[in-house]
Amino acid sequence: MSEVATVAVGWGVTAVAVASYALWVLLRGRTIGQELDIGGSSSMLSDKDSTTDQ
Amino acid sequence: MLPEALLIARKDLKIEMRSKVALGQVAPLALLILVIFAFALDANSMLLKLGAGGLFWISALYGGTMLVQRSFDLESEDGNFDALRMSNIDPSAIFLGKTLALFVQIGILELVIGPAILILYETQVSDWLLLLLAAVAGTLAFAVCGVLWGVMASGLRVRTTLLPLLLVPVLSPVLLAGSRAFETALGVRAGDGWTWTGLMFVIASLHTAVGLGAFGFLLEEG
Amino acid sequence: MTSAKGRSVKMTATPFTRALGFLALAAVAVMALLGLVVSPPDVVQGEAVRMLYLHVPAIWIAYGSFAVTSVSSLLFLRRGKRREDKGRHYDRLGGAAAEVGVLFTGVTLITGMLWGKVTWGTYWQWDARLTTTVLLFVTYLGYLALRRLPADPVVRGRRAAIMALISFINVPIVHYSVDWWRTLHQKASLSVGRRPEITGEMYWTLLYSAVAVTFVAVWLVTHRYRVIRLEEIRDEEMLTALISQRVSQDLPPVSDGDFDE
Repeated sequence: MSEVATVAVGWGVTAVAVASYALWVLLRGRTIGQELDIGGSSSMLSDKDSTTDQ
Repeated sequence: MLPEALLIARKDLKIEMRSKVALGQVAPLALLILVIFAFALDANSMLLKLGAGGLFWISALYGGTMLVQRSFDLESEDGNFDALRMSNIDPSAIFLGKTLALFVQIGILELVIGPAILILYETQVSDWLLLLLAAVAGTLAFAVCGVLWGVMASGLRVRTTLLPLLLVPVLSPVLLAGSRAFETALGVRAGDGWTWTGLMFVIASLHTAVGLGAFGFLLEEG
Repeated sequence: MTSAKGRSVKMTATPFTRALGFLALAAVAVMALLGLVVSPPDVVQGEAVRMLYLHVPAIWIAYGSFAVTSVSSLLFLRRGKRREDKGRHYDRLGGAAAEVGVLFTGVTLITGMLWGKVTWGTYWQWDARLTTTVLLFVTYLGYLALRRLPADPVVRGRRAAIMALISFINVPIVHYSVDWWRTLHQKASLSVGRRPEITGEMYWTLLYSAVAVTFVAVWLVTHRYRVIRLEEIRDEEMLTALISQRVSQDLPPVSDGDFDE
């Protein structure tokens, strides 16, 4: 690999890694936030309903 | 504190004496690993001789990790930890006792694989004292770290996979130092085996200090 | 479930972090411009020097994050000593910082290996710094693994905090022993072109990059911290819901949302 290509790969990989992590954190926060918000009426408890066996 | 520590150690060793897990199961496996190394290196006697020190410690690491695991599985079974906590024994004493028992068990393991290294890999000892002290230092460091991380992973469902991941990075300096010290003791490489041995003692005492301080925390509601 | 509604947390952003996020993005854009276009190639290293604008700040951030983890672990243990429900925020901060630290350690390793390939002609050297870094990486991966385990949050937090402290003590030991190991064997080949003096424009670019990456890291840690908090709230709510479900077992089926403590 040429120097320029290597630099490009390095920056590219870093950008992708950091961006995906950031996205993951944001989405996870959003998902859980929504889960909690709506939790009282649907998603969380209905999950529980279906898994309680007694 | 010391009598209590001895009590704990005696308990563990008595269990070992009756069940013979270290001697009967772990040691044969460690031996087998020494054989497998010969496969990996195509029984190249030169390579084996050169690497004997390191291979010894890797094999000891593998077997020792299992012993650590077992040492704490014994405690988490049947709520033994709760019993220990309620026994009013000083956590530091429990730490020292477990360490001592583990030291003896890993020592036994090494007494099996040590001679095997000499025979299988055709190594000769050039400095018995160094070999002995390096083994003691390394085993001590191993036992101390093992107890510290063993209790950390104890009681968790994934402990079998978690413990090695936690333990090996911490033990890597010991592995490095032990290998170098053994190489000198086995006369395959000139080097400062004594300093490496000293380093292992330093690591052992540092972790002992941490363990004495932190074990109460770790034990509190394992 | 009223408590969850009352909190009404939907996203982890606040005006402040949103501003910080944009600032970080802008800073990174400028950093890319400076590092990739404006700054000149190095006399010795050529274009490869541009990798260092990522590589060096990344390891600084990683060290900084791990330092934050250690300090907050210490504070967590001290605060939690008397009342175990105290100081949980330190636990969260430690976790968030460690995760970001691992991310940037990974970045350091990758960029370093690529840089090494160009400069040394090999991806890997058994150099003290490289070996220490890879062990650091694995150590904190273990820390994160420990944090992820299903266990009582306080117990887990306490174990994680102690692990963070021991790991931090261990870093110098690892570095020292590896350093010693390598210097014993091959002194010369190591330091050749390892990290040449950087001056002038390059120096400022590097410094600027460090600032830009710091913004990114602070943003990441803040958000991760909030997500950890959300995870905790969720777990607690789930537990409460489960308990109340157990309690009301004998009652006729209740419609969701009627659960109350």
